[in-house]
Amino acid sequence: MTDTEETQAPTTTSTTSVAAPPDKDSAKICILLNATGNVPIIKKRTWTVDPNKTVSWIQKFIHKFLKLDSNEKIFLYVNQTFAPAPDQIIKNLYECHGTNGKLVLYYCKNQAWG
Amino acid sequence: MAHDREVLRMIWEGQIGICFQADSEEIVGLRPEPFYLMVSRLSYLPLVTDKVRKYFTRYIAAEHQEGAVWFDFNGTPLRLHYPIGVLYDLLHPNEDGTPWCITIHFSKFPEETLVKLNTKELLESHYLACLKEADVLKHRGLVISAMQKKDHNQLWLGLINDKFDQFWAINRRLMEPYNDQESFKNIPVRFYYDDDFTYMQKLISPLNEAGQKKNLADLMAELSTPVRKAVGFRTHGICLPEETQLQWMSEHMSYPDNFLHLSVDYVSE
Repeated sequence: MTDTEETQAPTTTSTTSVAAPPDKDSAKICILLNATGNVPIIKKRTWTVDPNKTVSWIQKFIHKFLKLDSNEKIFLYVNQTFAPAPDQIIKNLYECHGTNGKLVLYYCKNQAWG
Repeated sequence: MAHDREVLRMIWEGQIGICFQADSEEIVGLRPEPFYLMVSRLSYLPLVTDKVRKYFTRYIAAEHQEGAVWFDFNGTPLRLHYPIGVLYDLLHPNEDGTPWCITIHFSKFPEETLVKLNTKELLESHYLACLKEADVLKHRGLVISAMQKKDHNQLWLGLINDKFDQFWAINRRLMEPYNDQESFKNIPVRFYYDDDFTYMQKLISPLNEAGQKKNLADLMAELSTPVRKAVGFRTHGICLPEETQLQWMSEHMSYPDNFLHLSVDYVSE
């Protein structure tokens, strides 16, 4: 189980090294996670994810990372505007709503931007 | 856009005949007759199937009667948060005038493949999120955020109660051009291939670099790659002429969620 969890977790990007090696990470998408409301903050804000991962996969990742109770929910918003569908893929959101090479996502435990 | 109001009306009135069948494993005793229903292409399965559910409940084993309802066509679970017309066109591309036979289930909800947006409340917030995303693309979100809660309610109630005038009284504001221009900033559109339910979204401008309105032929060129050529688009059961302008399509042929849902036909080069 630990093995699969390792491979499934988003890979960290070092924000300092701008020229990332153009190999296996080149197709991945850079996301910026912002906490909003009374949700614990994830210190590492920039992550890279596989473009075909879904919104619900990101929600589950945050849930697990913050070790939330099973009855707590994570809501995710794009650019503080709308909540994408759980089965929407990151690639589509990045293509339409990415800015400066990043997709900016906000997460919280309560509905924020309805 | 006022000139083409008949088009809006025709799109609104599009219907599909559905023949609902029971899941034989859930039936106790006599097998019920199928349930036939004409439904709006623009609506969603959980919004139009109260009667269907009620009809089949009395034939279903007691322990399943309160279960989360879902549907399948030939073994493919149907996404509850996609407009019915989109599902039908993807799975039934050759319109033959016969009812669409789908199976209703009361148990074993396939959580892995279907998002559980199965109540009116959940669908309403999903619908509003789609509207917001579409307006972000069209007007940087300025029109929808200037609306009041009652306007959002009116759109939703217009859709679920099949009230064309009530819906369009508000929706027309979402169909105004961006700022002082003649078109939207971008066109909200989702592209589907074959019978795969995953769609592709990208930024599609209504204008080309010279500032002229793009048509579907331009869009074909934009979506084609050296190995795969886009050769046609379908929506609402219609094959679209390639001279159709994208801006006009967005204003007239979008679903109530304000997105164009286009099936793309490809050929390999």
